[in-house]
Amino acid sequence: MHSPMSGSRGGSSRRMGMSSFGGKPRFMKKGDFELTTKEEVPELLEKRAQEILDNGEEIKIAVSTDLQFDGTYGKDWLLVTDKRLIAFNQNGVLGHDMREVTITSVEDIEVLEMYGNNILKVITQENAIELARYSKKLTPKFNLTVTELERLTSPGKPEGPGIRAQGKGPGPGRGRRGRRGPRPDGMQGLQKGGDRVRCEKCGNPVPSWTGVCINCQQNSKLIFRLFKYAFPFLYIIIPAFLIMMLIRLVSLYPAILSRDLIDKILTPVGSALAAGEQLPVTTWGHLQGFINTLGEWFGTMPLGGSFGHLVGIVIIMASIRVFSMGASSIRGYMMAWVGQNITRRMQNETYEHLNALSIDFFHERDTGNLMSRITSDVSRLRDFIANGLQDIVGDSLTLIYMCIIMFSFHWKLAMWTLIPIPCIIIFTIYFGKLMSKVYSVLWKRYANISTILSSTIPGVRVVKAFARERYEISRFSELTHQVFSGEMNAAKLGSLYRPMMEFITYSGSIIIWFVGGWQIFQGDLTLGTLFMFQSYMMRFFGPVRTLCQMNERFIRAGTSAERVFEILDTTPSIADKQDAVTLSNIKGEIEFRDVFFTYDNEKFALNGVSFEVQPGEMIGLVGHSGAGKSTLVNLITRFYDPNRGEIVIDGHDSKDIKVKALRQQIGVVLQDPFLFEGTIAENIGYSKPGASQHEIIAAAKAANAHDFIIKFPDGYDTMVGERGARVSGGERQRISIARAILKNPRILILDEATSSIDTETESKIQEALERLVRGRTVFAIAHRLSTLKYANRLVVLKEGEVDEIGTHEELIEQDGTYANLCQKQTELSKIRAW
Amino acid sequence: MYEPIKVTDELVFLNPNEVSITRNAFEELVVQLSDGTTHTKVDVIRSFPIKEPVRYISLVDSEGDEIGIVEDVRKLIPQSRDVLLEELQKRYFMPKITKINSIDGHFGITQWDVETTQGDVEFGMRSRYDIVSLENNRVLIKDVDGNRYEIENYSKLDPKSYALLQTQL
Repeated sequence: MHSPMSGSRGGSSRRMGMSSFGGKPRFMKKGDFELTTKEEVPELLEKRAQEILDNGEEIKIAVSTDLQFDGTYGKDWLLVTDKRLIAFNQNGVLGHDMREVTITSVEDIEVLEMYGNNILKVITQENAIELARYSKKLTPKFNLTVTELERLTSPGKPEGPGIRAQGKGPGPGRGRRGRRGPRPDGMQGLQKGGDRVRCEKCGNPVPSWTGVCINCQQNSKLIFRLFKYAFPFLYIIIPAFLIMMLIRLVSLYPAILSRDLIDKILTPVGSALAAGEQLPVTTWGHLQGFINTLGEWFGTMPLGGSFGHLVGIVIIMASIRVFSMGASSIRGYMMAWVGQNITRRMQNETYEHLNALSIDFFHERDTGNLMSRITSDVSRLRDFIANGLQDIVGDSLTLIYMCIIMFSFHWKLAMWTLIPIPCIIIFTIYFGKLMSKVYSVLWKRYANISTILSSTIPGVRVVKAFARERYEISRFSELTHQVFSGEMNAAKLGSLYRPMMEFITYSGSIIIWFVGGWQIFQGDLTLGTLFMFQSYMMRFFGPVRTLCQMNERFIRAGTSAERVFEILDTTPSIADKQDAVTLSNIKGEIEFRDVFFTYDNEKFALNGVSFEVQPGEMIGLVGHSGAGKSTLVNLITRFYDPNRGEIVIDGHDSKDIKVKALRQQIGVVLQDPFLFEGTIAENIGYSKPGASQHEIIAAAKAANAHDFIIKFPDGYDTMVGERGARVSGGERQRISIARAILKNPRILILDEATSSIDTETESKIQEALERLVRGRTVFAIAHRLSTLKYANRLVVLKEGEVDEIGTHEELIEQDGTYANLCQKQTELSKIRAW
Repeated sequence: MYEPIKVTDELVFLNPNEVSITRNAFEELVVQLSDGTTHTKVDVIRSFPIKEPVRYISLVDSEGDEIGIVEDVRKLIPQSRDVLLEELQKRYFMPKITKINSIDGHFGITQWDVETTQGDVEFGMRSRYDIVSLENNRVLIKDVDGNRYEIENYSKLDPKSYALLQTQL
């Protein structure tokens, strides 16, 4: 019999004692996803079960799985009465597919949390029986089942029998184990698992960072929320809207004017002149006072009163144009002001919130993604609020105005005019769908490009140190090729779309020419009206297209809104920050000869440094910040070359050595260990292209990393996230040490490799480092002098010069800068000790 | 001139002929080594669950310490091999997707309806980090619940599945 506390291996065991469950689990509350351990048993199974059960034996638990033992999807059943547990396969046929255990014989209940599936197992005195196999989806249900099983197997006892957690060693067995560090006790893990919040409506998991189910998040709600940003500017938005309505209305008037011009002035005048008659006296209905005055005035002139009418109409047309032009520009400016204000408010608010968020939020997302939310998503929202909505209303109004006018002038022709409209609607919607598919693919490819850039550009030191430029270039070129093919797909559609649209529009006008012309032959239509219809026809399509794309616009705005609000809705959690370390490696015998170096040509960071290093020697670099330690190291790797003096490596001036060849001999573990997005194996193997898995495991083992790596469910195939964000600082450090070990460099540079790491981790890293420094030339920079305990000699730098040089004992004896530093640190560590 | 670091002496690779892996009545694995030591309740872990399903299998004892690594399961004596393979089959469940019927959803979570070698299944996937494409057109997917799926070679999918998958990569 195992006590609940028996599973002491590894803090991350899951123990399922009753006490740790603490009553009702708190997941999913209602709807389809309600948790029950008493499901409806299929009739066939029920019948089979009754044959086995005694009279009056009641089924207490009936749960179905989603996996069968052979590893295929399917429903197995677990039935529990107060006397026995029975596991059935789907048919409930007796034989191998039924496992029965009497309840009294149950000693322990175990849940094996494995990779992609779990197994529920009961243990008796003699053996163990695996009762159910299920995918992670059913974890909550089976957790509940276990609780109830406990109650049944140990009636009356306050605590159940020791429900052993199958802690079984490390590895995937620990399905949902937090990705970093051990968990203090099993209970915590359980709550985490059981607590997974699911949406009450759709049952989908709710992302922990939003707290709302984005699946059910309604577009309309999001859009309404956007209005919040528009409210403060309503005093501008409403006038701008009214101006727009007026412009739209007025802009339809010139077509009516031209109709009158043709029918009442030009046609009579033209036919009179053709017939050789006198110019007719034309009449015209609109704005009579103004036109007639002009008519009278021109009446005295050779061209006559009709010409005055022509001038009048042209003046009115011009005035309308001027008016709408002026009004549009004023409105445009007003809306731009509103739009920019909204953008600014939204960006500031989002950025402010982003700053308040904890590190974990950033670990989950890549920089490029967050950047695009604050830039492109916000401006898309601005565009939607400032222009999109008004366009939609304005376009609908224009269409209604036009229909009213056309139908009132000539309803038959108006009907014909509308014929191409359904084609346009279908065509636009169809193409819109195609386009959005192509573009969503394309966007992701562009995002991949920014991801790779934002990963390798800050990591350029690592790329160069390991001489992997060509590799990065080929990776990048692969992505640009993907973008190229995506863009060409888009171009294929785009170059088809425009001509097709033009064709449809043109066919509309052909219809009007034909039907209208025919109507004129019938004497049913005037030439002016025909012209008016033609000009309306051309204006019909823009608005129709806009309205067709309305749905897509709403969806896009909704998506952007969701992305922006996701940031705003996230509540900061507390996350600790850990510093990471990187190692680097150099080769052989090194001599500094009077080396001077400056970054800015003003102040020398190194001021005539001279010393010699024997092959295989470990040099500790000591000194205050800014004393030149890192600069010295940067010169060895040739990130920079000295301004004066030389660094002689194995008898050659470093300037004479091929950078690539030199760097291949150098390993670096930097202060902030930089991992690339990819798997752990890829990161370790980065320093040695083509390294075998055998070598990678060996290097990891030597770096004290193997044991924690195989505890990840994905082992060496675990993705570390951008810049290794998904592994802890100490883990990152050990991976980067493994990387340096794998390279087996002759020269190793350790730049603050153990700063701000907890003592236990540090001792593990120290152990790894000790292995790493054996038999190679090492430069180690450390503020914590204890880190330098393996150093053969210490070089104390002071303001860019070598202040002291010698072994620890020699320097202490000298009682100089080093002795002073030592003493201070000893005092400090006394304070820290408690 | 300089000798490479001897890191391998840290690693224990088990001689495939001298390891015996059996299963006891408690469904636990028992590993017996040639030196006579016996470990019960042994856990088997793939070092490279994604890339090397039957190589570099780490055997870990009940204390969480590594007993050693089986470099290639296929080289074990048949009885041990079968037990180990069976255990791996149980521990690592990752159906291969053979056909994608639909992928839906706009905001954050995409719903997949797929056919796999283990049967039909529907699942939700959260972010683009949960779908990883590897070399040789291999794709790995982790769903919202932590279940794993793989597509062995997406270029061999039918055109519709391929097109659907393309929208997610």
